[in-house]
Amino acid sequence: MKRKDLRKLIIVVSLVTALAVVVPLMSGCLGAPAAAPPEAPPEVAPPVEAPPEVAPPEAPPEAPKTITAKIGFLAPLTGPVAGWGLPGLYGDYIWVEHFNAEGGITLSDGTQVLAEMVPYDNEYITEKALTGAKKLVLEDEVVLVQMLGGATAAAAVPFMTDQMMISTTLLPSDLTPSTLYHLAPIEVCPFYNVTGVEWLALNKPELKTFAQVAQDDELGRPGMAAMNASAEAAGLEVVYWELFDPETTDFAPIVSKMIASGADILSWGISYPDYVNLLTFEAYNQGYEGQLHSCTLDFYDAVIEKTSVEFMEGFIWQFPDFDDPAMQEPLNPYRLIEPAVFWDDYQAAYPGTWSAVSWEYQAQLDEWMMAVKAADSIDPMKVFAAWKHPKENNIYHAFGEGTWWGKPFWGIDNAFMAPWPVVEMQNGKAVIVEFRDQLDWWERNKETMVQWNMDLGEMWWQRMGIDIESGIKMWGLEEEFGYLLEE
Amino acid sequence: MVRKIKGGYLGLAVLFAMLAAMPFIIGEYRLTTVLMMMIWVIVVVSYRLLATTGEFSLGHVVVMGIGAYSSAIMSRNMGMSFWVTAPLGGLIAAGFAAATARPLFRMKGMYFLLGSFALGEAIRLCFRGFKEPFGGEGGFWYVPTPSIGSFIFSDTISYFYLVLGVTAACLFIMYRIDQSRIGKAMVAIHSQDSLCESLGINILGYKTLAYITASFFAGIAGALLGHYMTTVSPPQFAIGPMLLVLIWVVVGGTNTFWGPIAGVFTLYTIQETLRGVLVEWMPMFYGIILIAMVFALPGGLESLPARIAEWRKARREKLAGTGAG
Amino acid sequence: MELALQQALNGALLSVFYAVMAIGFTLIFGVMGIVNLAHGELYMVGAYVVWLTYAQGILPFPLAVLAGAGIVAGIGIGMERALFRPMRGNVLMGAILSVGMIFILQVFVATTWHVGLMKNIPPAIKGSVEMFGAIAPWQRLVVIPSAVALIGGLWWFLRRTKQGQALRAVAQDPEAATLQGISIDRVGIIAMAIAAALAGVAGGLMAPIMRVDPYMGHTALIMALMVTIVGGLGSIEGALVASFIYGFLVAFVTGYFPKEIASPATMAIIIGALLMFIMLAVRPRGILGRGT
Repeated sequence: MKRKDLRKLIIVVSLVTALAVVVPLMSGCLGAPAAAPPEAPPEVAPPVEAPPEVAPPEAPPEAPKTITAKIGFLAPLTGPVAGWGLPGLYGDYIWVEHFNAEGGITLSDGTQVLAEMVPYDNEYITEKALTGAKKLVLEDEVVLVQMLGGATAAAAVPFMTDQMMISTTLLPSDLTPSTLYHLAPIEVCPFYNVTGVEWLALNKPELKTFAQVAQDDELGRPGMAAMNASAEAAGLEVVYWELFDPETTDFAPIVSKMIASGADILSWGISYPDYVNLLTFEAYNQGYEGQLHSCTLDFYDAVIEKTSVEFMEGFIWQFPDFDDPAMQEPLNPYRLIEPAVFWDDYQAAYPGTWSAVSWEYQAQLDEWMMAVKAADSIDPMKVFAAWKHPKENNIYHAFGEGTWWGKPFWGIDNAFMAPWPVVEMQNGKAVIVEFRDQLDWWERNKETMVQWNMDLGEMWWQRMGIDIESGIKMWGLEEEFGYLLEE
Repeated sequence: MVRKIKGGYLGLAVLFAMLAAMPFIIGEYRLTTVLMMMIWVIVVVSYRLLATTGEFSLGHVVVMGIGAYSSAIMSRNMGMSFWVTAPLGGLIAAGFAAATARPLFRMKGMYFLLGSFALGEAIRLCFRGFKEPFGGEGGFWYVPTPSIGSFIFSDTISYFYLVLGVTAACLFIMYRIDQSRIGKAMVAIHSQDSLCESLGINILGYKTLAYITASFFAGIAGALLGHYMTTVSPPQFAIGPMLLVLIWVVVGGTNTFWGPIAGVFTLYTIQETLRGVLVEWMPMFYGIILIAMVFALPGGLESLPARIAEWRKARREKLAGTGAG
Repeated sequence: MELALQQALNGALLSVFYAVMAIGFTLIFGVMGIVNLAHGELYMVGAYVVWLTYAQGILPFPLAVLAGAGIVAGIGIGMERALFRPMRGNVLMGAILSVGMIFILQVFVATTWHVGLMKNIPPAIKGSVEMFGAIAPWQRLVVIPSAVALIGGLWWFLRRTKQGQALRAVAQDPEAATLQGISIDRVGIIAMAIAAALAGVAGGLMAPIMRVDPYMGHTALIMALMVTIVGGLGSIEGALVASFIYGFLVAFVTGYFPKEIASPATMAIIIGALLMFIMLAVRPRGILGRGT
């Protein structure tokens, strides 16, 4: 290659590198455009336009300011797992509309706090999760980061802990003694799933055997452990269980095996919502007539359409419809939006997308809101401190009074536990049949739970790749886990 | 002495000097994206090493994963130091390449593409299917951060310099190979393989060497990625990222050493800059750019200076012609 | 219900699905030397058309599937003219271009009809029938005669019609075919239309059973690749044989592999991929393919 051409190439590459520096700098100055909700605007009154933040130096000290609390949403918005992320963002948008419409929160010094969602699609890939966390925290200056959880959280949380940023998750299997500011404020998946299985065992004593399948990932695996443990603890025999490939397209062979095991209860564990649909359809196709159970049952009207009302009768799962009468009780007296109103707003704005997570992220914001009021600030660490004292600060879980717990299981008290509903299909509609206490279950059955999780490699020290003695020593958890060393 | 320093090495030095100045110019978030970009630069340049012999692989990113998982498992489970496990990760990736080269190179062209894909998928599914020792679909967590003595490379700036150093070293080595007799032989194999055969050049030998070397560097890049993310999981090495690498290489061009680098720089920068606006449309944008590039600028971005020179020359001639006439 | 018989039935149904996907893929390669890596996305579009027309109550199921085939055939023809024809002779470049189409189609569908939960499609025929001690849902069974009709129709087309014979002539020897006055361009369009339509029909037929989202083409493509390679690129008979090998392989490995070692379904695909790799290394022309 000639000298001249080489020189030209060097110039090109240097120019490109210069572009790589200048363009991002410039776009940083211009500011990234605020993300807008992708669907048609809801029928709620448009939010009050937040006046630009002005701090004139000569202003009298009593002039009220308005600040915008930016809430980061770091979850899959595209890709196969989007069903656990995007509907949650939609729910958040509705919450923010209501929040801003009612003027947000006013702090003691008169500052008005409004909210704004800042989404970042991590496509459930760790690389994007980490860069997303950095962007949200460092560039967008959010005060809270909501995540789905799993490997993406494992990648992003160390950075956020370092930055003293609060992050939330739906999967407490993220929690280890090192995830200081990582909270599971609403969903304590898979823990609450013990309630459904136990309810079945108590209320349908003719059922004696249990079979479960789920995809093999950070959602399905812990669920496998929890539900099998609950079955065993309740006196059911676990006759078949399998973790299938997350990219399975054909569920016929799997369902065939389950039916062949002769189990009285077939459970889909914590399978992806789409898989629950297809597995149920398969069971129907293969002539199954027994009890069905699952963690979620999203968009069940479609499932009923594919099967039948009779087939689905008595299906047990853990996620209620928000217009259920039991939900209208003031379980959380400080919640921003009445459940029935939220349900209507959501169905109007985002029809056909309701999933189990649609209401969960915004329920976290209910708690955050009360923590901000109590802390009288949006500063993450102050809010965190306030959040950890729910009784004093009127912070309720969506399903009632909650307790921060977790040390005996995850090594850190960062899971907000409250009674969880058990839902039964009655004549084509989801009906809450009972709220059961998870901590009470734990007290009675902790050994079984820990054993199943250890067998599946899901306890926190196994995830961290350290042996249990070192773990206990490092975080002073002799009281909680010492008994395991005596075996 | 100065005359002997080739323009290419000078170019590399300039490039890395500019990169070294980055932490003083841009903030941490952008620094992270430049850091990632450098890791991918190692991957595309190593990809090109194999592509110059005429073989396009669809398993290169999985090889990266082999390096990543190896280094992660050895450093976390066996307590070995990153400085040992990362090169070892590269060596294991190279070893995998050595073991699979013979069957792979029985496949020509299109078949090599599909065969490398099949092999890559099989390996990646092993990462996913076996919770021991790979951690399954959720992946392998708590990969330790590299350290020297008591200094830990936990903040972005220090890891940036780590990656900068490793990338510079890798690129210098690969450039050396490219400029050497070996590199020229590899190019010759691609374009004139019958001539090479008659000259007694061991085509299979050179292709295998290219494949093993490329895999070594991909493994190193994987280790760098894994220790930065502190997690290694199968979706990172799926067909999606692999196709992106392919697009970067094709858009940049494979004729020169700089082509793939230009490809990755340009597209990655555009991707990150327009992230807020384009996020859902990004893959489509990539697809369109790929197709447009192949038709409009078949030589890739690297051929741009030559094309501009041609165009200017043609213009000059035209003007001279009208002037004289 | 005998589990083994049930798995055998599952295997038969899978085989038929693979066959329809693979035959289209192998046909376009055999005739025109095209490797269309966006074949899975064509399948996906077929499923979406069924969702848009049948699930919304606009068309009855058979017409919806045909509509899908038609639209997908159109896309295929567009791809042939814009991407593959200019690259004729360069298989690798054509394949790389088709990669661009993968992303274009996926993003188009994802942004237009949004992601989240899958697109739910009610079955065309509800209920199941018991045969030989196993239970087969009608929706799956319907795939068999449809596929048989398609493949039979294709066979008749290739052997008995002038166009079909033109295709076979081009597949055997393009230069000789041109000398005989056959227009390669025309053959290319017809072959691509057929191949694409087959993928579209597969998508439409399987839509009520599968998870319909923009990324569903990925696994379909992988299976099509494995089947065509093992059967022999370019050989329809080979694709048929390999479809059955793979169909039963997947069904039985998923059904019987000990789950203590690894997830059976994952193992099935690993074995399938290794089979493909070994075949490429040992006998690249596949079971029934011709030599290069």
